[in-house]
Order: sequence, then structure tokens, then C-alpha cells
Amino acid sequence: MRLGDLPAAMAKRLAELECPEFATRPWVAGPPLAERRVAIVSSAGLVVRGEKPFRGRDPDYRVIPATTRPDQLLLSHISINFDRNGFQEDWNVVFPLDRLNAMAAAGEIGSVAAAHYSFMGATDPVQMETHAREVAGLLRQDKVDAVILSPV
Amino acid sequence: MSALGHYIEEEGIATVAIGLIRPQIENTHPPRALWVPFELGRPFGPPADPEFQNAVIRAALRMLGEGGGPVRIADFPQTDPRERPDPGWHPPILEAPAADHSPAALADAFVAETARLAAAYDRSVAARARTTLGLSGLPIAEAVDYVARWLRGAAPESPVGDMSAPLALRFAIDDVKAYVLEAALIPGSKPSSRQLGDWLWTKTATGRALFALRRAHLDAADERLKLIAGNFIVPGIRVLAAG
Repeated sequence: MRLGDLPAAMAKRLAELECPEFATRPWVAGPPLAERRVAIVSSAGLVVRGEKPFRGRDPDYRVIPATTRPDQLLLSHISINFDRNGFQEDWNVVFPLDRLNAMAAAGEIGSVAAAHYSFMGATDPVQMETHAREVAGLLRQDKVDAVILSPV
Repeated sequence: MSALGHYIEEEGIATVAIGLIRPQIENTHPPRALWVPFELGRPFGPPADPEFQNAVIRAALRMLGEGGGPVRIADFPQTDPRERPDPGWHPPILEAPAADHSPAALADAFVAETARLAAAYDRSVAARARTTLGLSGLPIAEAVDYVARWLRGAAPESPVGDMSAPLALRFAIDDVKAYVLEAALIPGSKPSSRQLGDWLWTKTATGRALFALRRAHLDAADERLKLIAGNFIVPGIRVLAAG
């Protein structure tokens, strides 16, 4: 997003949004990309149709199995101040599972995770910490060693 | 988003975050982040453009194999070609604005318009084999009716078992907007989000009805309703534009 494209007050609010302070600077290395197992973790408030949408600023997460079809995925993010037309036209704009599957088929990445995860990005990140660490545990069980984090 | 990356990387899994707001990336100090110059809501760029989306994903994943950390921030160099308007796109219907601006007349026009959009919506959904409606759990006609009843001045009970009336209203409005905007995704056209938004918020009965609903409840006694009116009906940028 080019903040200069927004009205000044809106750009200022986004630029100055409070961010958490972290005491550590983690950095994990890993194998070449062609050997990595990749998962998507989204903060778009994505839910599989039939599951409870995110309400307000829920700190928990939803599981999106790799078998989820494009017509099963809904976006329940609380904010209405971002574009939804892109997601409406093509889920890969927010959740690029088709792209990752094609990359895995071509050998560009090792494989795609069995499950992906979504949070509600408007929630205070500190409240999401426990849930994020829980998701990391699930990713480890699935032998995921690369996560692409997708906002809206 | 970058904060989630921090927690997950601390747990031993390498992460790379796509970031839309560069100052927020810089302030969060994520292990790796790729800033993209796309509009909010489009982290992987243009819809229906696999090659472009692949380029974004490759640029991000490539950072996993590079050194230079902790805290590496890179910028994606290309802009989203779908930000350009499509001169060939035309809205599915054009309504003449009603002269009567009473809530009842706006609600009637809104209900009639959504019925007229049904064929365009069905074509659009058939072309993509997909819809994003469903947050309220209501069939679209019921979601429209529920929103219209609020606009007419009623305070209807929630039609959804496990949702309060204001929450059901919020999700019904989300569904109504998705319905109207999906109807405007004419197969074969490539409208920009601005084209679609300009149409919804300045040319349609639905847009006028939602603005009126917002105004009607901005000072509601029910705090939840007031919150929804102020924040979750009309996008902030459209409120500013309307003055």
C-alpha cells in the first residue's frame, strides 16, 4: 500500500498504529526451497463455510485444511476499510493455495502443508501470542518449515 | 501480521511476512518481510493473474534462503496492474436515483435493486464457480429483508440463532455488499476496486440505503449498534468522500 494514496488522516493512523515490542530477534534457517513444506498463515479472518465467523477482535484462529475449495472460504475480518473485490474474484489474492500447489507440483517448493491457519488481524497481537504458539506447534507436527504470512 | 511471524519464528519455524503498510513492518521488526505496494486487501496483487501472484510468492519465499537477518525487509518492485480502471467494464444495472429519500422509499429501492441484480449475480457466480456470501448464514433475500427492516425503523430480532441482532445486521450487510459487488464482476471484464466502489457507493440504491442506515444509527442508544453504524457499514474513505 502506498500510504500517500490515502487521505492524510487515514495514512497517519495506519502508519502510527501501535506495534508490540519484542525482546528477541528470532531467525531460523532451513533447507533449500525445493525441500521446504510451506503453509499459509493469514490474518484476514478467513473461515471455512459453516464454521463460526470471527466476531469482533477474537484472538483465536481457524484451521483451513488443504482440501478446502475456493467456494468454501469466507472472509470475516471486522474491518471494512480494505478491498474485498480481489478476494471475491480470486481467493489467491488473499489465500494463494492454488499457486502453492502449482509450485509444489513443479518442484519449486517441496510440498504444501496439510492445513493452513487464519487469525483476525485487527486483534491486539499480544492477545494472539498463545494461539500463535499453538499454531506453531501444529505446524511443527505437520513438518512445516516455511510459513508465508498473509495480511489484508 | 509481522507479530505473528515473530511468535512462530521463535517457535522454530522460518517465516516471511507479506506486508502492506511499511511503517508497521518497520516498527514490528519481523524476521523477514516483503513490502508490497498493493492496495489493502490484496497482499498477492491482482486477481486472476497467476504469473503476477507467483512473482510475489517467489520474491517472498526467496527471502527464506537468503541471509542478512535477523530483520530483513525487502520491497516488491511492481505495482498491481488491476489498479487501472477497465474502460470496457459497465455496471450490471443503472438505477435512476429516487426523488423520495425517506427511509421507507430507500428501503424499497434497495430491495428492488437487489432483486434486479439476481441474474448478474448468478452469471458471475457461475463463471467463477464461487461466491463469498455466507457470513450471516441467511439466504440473500432474507439478508436484504433484514437490512431493509432496520432501515425502515424497526429493531428486528436476530434471525440467526447464535448472533445478537446487531451482529446479525453486521454480517447481513457484509453479505449484501458481497452480493452486489459480485454481481458487478461481469465475466470477461477487469474492473478496478475503485470502479466497483464508485458504482456501489455513488450510483446504487444499495449504497444510498447503507449510507442512510449508517446515519440513522450513528447515535444509537445500543452501543453495539452505534459501533456498527460508525465503523462497519460504509468504508471510512467513502464517508470522507461523501462529506
